[in-house]
Amino acid sequence: MTDVRAPEADPFESAAEPGEQGPRNRDPASGKLGLADWLKWGWRQLTSMRIALVLLFLLALGSVPGSILPQEGTDPGGVQQYFASHPALAPWLNHLGLFNVFAAPWFAAVYLLLFASLVGCVVPRTFRLAGSARTLPPRAPRHLTRLPRSAEYQTTLTPAVAAEVAATVLAGHGFRLRRPDGDGEYWVSAEKGYLREVGNLLFHLALLGVLVSVALGGLFGYKADRLLVQGTTFADTQSALDEWYPGRFVSAADLGPFTITLNRFDASYITSGAQRGQPSSFDAQISYTAHPGGPVRNDRLEVNRPLSVDGAKVYLIGHGYAPVFKVTDSRGQVVYDQATPFISGASGNFLSQGVVKVSGAQPEQLGFTGVFVPTAVMVGGVLESAFPAADNPVVSLLAYAGNLGLNDGVPQSVYQLNTAAMRQLTSAPQLLLPGQSLKLPDGQGTIAFTGYVPWASLTITHDPGQLPALICGLAALGGLLLSFMVRRRRVFVRARASGQGNGAPDEAHSTVQIGGLARTDASGGFEDEFASLAAELRSAHSQHEGE
Amino acid sequence: MPVNLALGHVSTDFLIAALVIYSLSVVAFAGDFAFGRPRRAASAATGQQARQRAGALASVGAAAAAPAVPPAPSAPPASSPPSAPAAPSAPGSAAPDSMPEVAVPPLRAIRQAGGWVQTALALSAVGVVAHTVAVVTRGLAVHRAPWGNMYEFVTALTCVAAIFFLFVMIKYRAWALGVFVMGAVVVALGLAETLIYTAAGQLVPALQSYWLDIHVTAMTLATGIFFVAAVLGVVYLAADRSARRVAAGRAESGNGILRRLPSIEQIDRLTYRTVMFGFPVWTFGVIAGAIWADQAWGRYWGWDPVETWAFITWVLYAAFLHARATAGWRGRRAHYIQLLGFASLMFNILVVQVFIAGLHSYAGVS
Repeated sequence: MTDVRAPEADPFESAAEPGEQGPRNRDPASGKLGLADWLKWGWRQLTSMRIALVLLFLLALGSVPGSILPQEGTDPGGVQQYFASHPALAPWLNHLGLFNVFAAPWFAAVYLLLFASLVGCVVPRTFRLAGSARTLPPRAPRHLTRLPRSAEYQTTLTPAVAAEVAATVLAGHGFRLRRPDGDGEYWVSAEKGYLREVGNLLFHLALLGVLVSVALGGLFGYKADRLLVQGTTFADTQSALDEWYPGRFVSAADLGPFTITLNRFDASYITSGAQRGQPSSFDAQISYTAHPGGPVRNDRLEVNRPLSVDGAKVYLIGHGYAPVFKVTDSRGQVVYDQATPFISGASGNFLSQGVVKVSGAQPEQLGFTGVFVPTAVMVGGVLESAFPAADNPVVSLLAYAGNLGLNDGVPQSVYQLNTAAMRQLTSAPQLLLPGQSLKLPDGQGTIAFTGYVPWASLTITHDPGQLPALICGLAALGGLLLSFMVRRRRVFVRARASGQGNGAPDEAHSTVQIGGLARTDASGGFEDEFASLAAELRSAHSQHEGE
Repeated sequence: MPVNLALGHVSTDFLIAALVIYSLSVVAFAGDFAFGRPRRAASAATGQQARQRAGALASVGAAAAAPAVPPAPSAPPASSPPSAPAAPSAPGSAAPDSMPEVAVPPLRAIRQAGGWVQTALALSAVGVVAHTVAVVTRGLAVHRAPWGNMYEFVTALTCVAAIFFLFVMIKYRAWALGVFVMGAVVVALGLAETLIYTAAGQLVPALQSYWLDIHVTAMTLATGIFFVAAVLGVVYLAADRSARRVAAGRAESGNGILRRLPSIEQIDRLTYRTVMFGFPVWTFGVIAGAIWADQAWGRYWGWDPVETWAFITWVLYAAFLHARATAGWRGRRAHYIQLLGFASLMFNILVVQVFIAGLHSYAGVS
């Protein structure tokens, strides 16, 4: 993997390992080391295969905590939980970046060093490949039987004709040839398989391309989430998004101005057998406009089937239930009448939790924490959901009155009720079926559970690095296959007049020697190729004998 | 479409048949070790050493020099003895022709190998057929690619391993390794059948995608191939250890099992080729998985635990391929890396997908 060459050790221009010696060997005369020597030594070390191996190990090792500890990027809730349950350890892990491994500086250092090592190895090799593509194969060695593969036979042709015939056969197989330059010898040097090195380079350069593509996406892409209740519309603007994770060079102005309406959402589930309750299909019917005032198009969003609109992609990620509540306050006025998304927790079958905040209620603000149960059953006095579809929907509500604390200046989650300044109105959770209502004590009003609608959560992404990453990934694969399947090999043919050496030259008879070697024959098969090539040469020679 | 339960039972029956037949083939492979024809390992090794020395003289690395196939017992000694002069051997007369020997055709090589090997190979082949029928009928029963949960995945990957190794055994005459690889297949399949059996069923919507088929098919193929490589790696380490003990004078060289194995270099090369075959398939599987992830979750790579471990596995196998070309890392160290790669692959399937929450938690094991 380095450019240290050992021309005597390997007939192919190649990759010998650098020695163990430090930089002092570079400058034996003065005994002093300049900065340049150290830099050179460091670069040689970095681009050596051994260091590349160590870096590969570090990369693998460094990834492990990223899969075992919760990560900010994929599971921020898990990180908070970890901080709560390991208060002593978590800050230390956080200092080491172990909750965001793949964005941590040390992880970046490892892969950047690895890619520097790769560049330092690939670039000189590219030059060498270009060089070797211009130069001819080496002259045929004198003793071909010493090569790993060899053959020898007699022919009645003259050495000159025998060499000529051999050259024709080898050229027919696409070998690059070299012939003697008039030194009274008769031989052919043939080389083939330059694509192996091309594939190897392509693989490594394409990996570099993948890294660049990922960086491109991180800098110029964005990801956003939006929960959309059936029957509602949203426009792709920053204020309308629930979450927005822009890349470093992305601003709110870069968001596509499309709008999406969720017309209908259907989920179906397996109703029997061992997989009862597993979802069998999701289907979100939407209409959208690519830009304000544009034509309205209808489409369907399914899992594995995103919508492409305006340079962004919209994915159906999740779904749930939004019970509809109607709240009347002490004055008899309807102060709340809307579908309220509830979020399903860890307990299965879409047992969902949510809160209702009624800031306009008089005389006091009202708040409710609730549980929505799509198929309610009582198991030992505990409300549970037996099936994810809404076959027997029930809500269970706890009512509070007081100050919701919305004006404290601290942003509140819509899924949490701050009960610090509120008092509980109902002593126990109250169960409501659709259409039923709960009368609050002290004439505070009523809350009615009028029905429910489904909601779907959408993820909107824009990633300009996506296509380049795909192309680079496929190029890496192609390079890999090339470098594994092509072998670089040389075949030499030498014809000598028989009897040479004992003073009785017989020009009409020749000894033909064939030698072959493959530089890398990892996928095997050179011995077979050589055997069939030797047989072909021999039969070509005997054919010419008859002419 | 509903699951065809009757066909699902047919699949299970064929799988149990395959398990029984594989077990018998392992017995036959073991029988070859115990009672089979002697294998003239010594002569093959001599020929090979000669070639290696010849290769060294021609200043070529050993990797290019040694043949993959030991010369047939009846063949003349290696075509180029190290001391052979290039000039004709006898003055005044032309040298005798020496053409490279053409490899013995596989079928004749099998016939020469004796009754135990023939029986074992025939049983393996029948077992592979039964195994394939089991996988195919499972697919027909559930109307999808039959590798949608862990049980199906193990069933399919062992099928790949068995087919691939049957091919390797015939092409490279590697039946001496059959007892190890087929034995490992029997163990893996038996464990799957007893511990994680899952009845035929449908898939959750996230898994209903043709990219799933492509992604998981590639991963199944690669895992089956890496499975073979891992068993070969273990055999390599055992043979290497014993050879070093013999060299150090701490053990007798008369170990019957090792004498019947191919040479250490041959096992090494076979392992390397196997990994070289599996690595691009794994790479393709990762790319296909990224495409699927992009369609299903809106990003092509998100360091989900399973993605992370697939990456670790890829890096470790890449390290193995590089290590084999690095001075001081060839041989034992490289094989430890390879086995570490397979360990990370198994960790991904058996631990990460089952116990670590992530988007890939589809194993269907409860």
